[in-house]
Amino acid sequence: MNDGKGTAGNTLGDVAPDPRWVRWIVGIVFVATLVPGLIGLWFRVSHGHLSAGYGSYVPWGLWVALYFHGVGIAGGAFVVGGLGHLFDWAGFSDRAVLRATIALSVAALLPALLAIWLDLGRMDRAMEIFLRPNFTSMMAFNAWMYGLFLLLAAVLWVLSFGEDRGWLKPMLCLAMLFALLFPSQSGAFFGVVEAKKFWHSALLPFVFLTSALVAGTAVLYVLHALRARSAAAPSQAAEALGRLRRLLQGLLVAYFGLEFAEFSIYLWNPGPHAPEVNLILSGPYWWVFWVVHLLLSGLLPFVLLALRWRPGWLAAALLAAVGFVSARLNILIPAQTVGELRGLVEAFRHPRLEYSYEATTAEYLVGLLLVAVGLGVFFAARRAEGVVLRLRAAGARAEEKHHVG
Amino acid sequence: MGMTRRELVRAGLLVAGGTAAAGGAVLHGRLRAAPEDPRGPATVRRLPEDPGGVAAASGEDVLVRMQRDLARAMARPAEERRWAMLIDRRRCVGCHACTVGCIAENRLPPGVVYRPVLTAEVGRYPQVGLSFTPRPCMQCEQPPCVPVCPVRATWRRPDGVTVIDYDLCIGCRYCLAACPYGARTSDFGEDYVEAIDGAERVLGGPAVWERQASREYAKAWSRGAGESPVGNARKCHFCLHRLDVGQLPICVSTCIGRATLFGDLADPDALIVERLRTETPETLLAHLGTRPRVFYVG
Repeated sequence: MNDGKGTAGNTLGDVAPDPRWVRWIVGIVFVATLVPGLIGLWFRVSHGHLSAGYGSYVPWGLWVALYFHGVGIAGGAFVVGGLGHLFDWAGFSDRAVLRATIALSVAALLPALLAIWLDLGRMDRAMEIFLRPNFTSMMAFNAWMYGLFLLLAAVLWVLSFGEDRGWLKPMLCLAMLFALLFPSQSGAFFGVVEAKKFWHSALLPFVFLTSALVAGTAVLYVLHALRARSAAAPSQAAEALGRLRRLLQGLLVAYFGLEFAEFSIYLWNPGPHAPEVNLILSGPYWWVFWVVHLLLSGLLPFVLLALRWRPGWLAAALLAAVGFVSARLNILIPAQTVGELRGLVEAFRHPRLEYSYEATTAEYLVGLLLVAVGLGVFFAARRAEGVVLRLRAAGARAEEKHHVG
Repeated sequence: MGMTRRELVRAGLLVAGGTAAAGGAVLHGRLRAAPEDPRGPATVRRLPEDPGGVAAASGEDVLVRMQRDLARAMARPAEERRWAMLIDRRRCVGCHACTVGCIAENRLPPGVVYRPVLTAEVGRYPQVGLSFTPRPCMQCEQPPCVPVCPVRATWRRPDGVTVIDYDLCIGCRYCLAACPYGARTSDFGEDYVEAIDGAERVLGGPAVWERQASREYAKAWSRGAGESPVGNARKCHFCLHRLDVGQLPICVSTCIGRATLFGDLADPDALIVERLRTETPETLLAHLGTRPRVFYVG
């Protein structure tokens, strides 16, 4: 039974180190993404935006897609993990699990913010968005939401170590509100752009929220699964995994249902044709939708989750967690490659004045850096947690000794 | 649910407070006044109404007429002017002089263009022709690029021209995505001498001419060492810096077909108002409700 401080019934192990094999895998992934990632960063720093493939008619590319994927994971994982803590779900109610959820969300959010920072034309002025925000812009609203969420996450993390004076759960509710809002706002971010017909839909905030919940739940599953073997209470760990599995299945159905609803408006529209949807379904990147998105991050995970084969569940979660970046790309890129004015590209020729986009090597390399930063942040947070717990234990022992003396 | 009554009340208050704060922030953003632009007497310019001693006469060049219109408009404070442009597609010959003139005037680097000229084939063989549509910034009355800017680096001036503060723009490119006309381009920091292989040597050294300052917004922008407007969004601004010294926008001056008219909609005697009254003007993508101040006939 949970004692509220993470000393028992813990799937993630409060002070127990990660299993050695997990550390090895994570270490290899960290190095394998950090080294090329730093090369990508060097390209970005030394060549500015010239190393990137986006331009003025397709102003946002891979980094923006990764940014939205990252904030989606952060929000989705926090909402699900937070619900688990609030409702005392088996395997979620411990403080240590909550801290792991917080660490996971922050580890997804910080690299996402790094991606969008690198995407700015004037990185030196990024703070202006906090100093003189314009809240009629969804971008400013989002930025403040991330800032406040990070602040709340830090407060929750600190509160989770001490005696509960009745503020942890209320603060968690507020943080969950933000975690629900910022992925939804990501949809509104595009939805308000009337210039892009494909984006201008009231359904988009729900589509983004649902994809965030899918990706967040998937990453949360991976986290729980990797550490389930060392869990103090294996039955609770199994129950947590079962719950996440069912949730992921349901969310996958919900997401693809919403996506179908969105597409149906275009496919059955008797009016003007929908070039964006045509591009998604049968354009040069048709495989991103049919293979990566629908098959590898939709159907296959769903089938794997339906089987009674645990390694398959982990594979399904990994596929959904990584593959759902295709959901972002499919919304982000095709809408930008369709212009309202015919003949604009031909009117003035330049590689950055084209309605087409292909990510460059530098962009992919920076994408790898984001993975490394995410892993680094997560394990730094876990290390910090270990240090705090050791210090608290040492303090408690010293106090006890003092009393005995 | 594992929450006490006290925790529930606190959670409710925090969530309600957070929601109210968010709503208040949006409301505040909507109600806030536009950035303070110069208004009143400070914006008045006493310019000669008779440029170069050319007298008003029937059959005079429209440029002379518009020059007088400009002088009259500048004699009024900025908030009493409503700048607009009328492009007669029947007179446009597709020479691209306006595009080139704009590039020279504003020292535009590669990949940045304020006024491309769109070409469309019209008719059916053998009755075919070409139609040209110059596309400056539409200076919309409801500009979609303005509310999306996260730092209020772009706004609509009292005279109707949407401007960008290059010293404030963070280069997020949200305004580029929001503009249905593709009228905003980002300055990615490219230079011509690097773009044209070997040209630097031919010209005998670094491209000094590329660092000559543009005078946009009545300031000097040299783009040296990644300085603004490198990394910023850029767009047509009706050559405000030229208007201020009594010159018509460069695209108007360079138009060999006299297809582009410019003037103040608030002046009933202005040539543009006269033409708008007698013609049937239309705007691009009118269905989007942006209400452009650039009109087309033909």
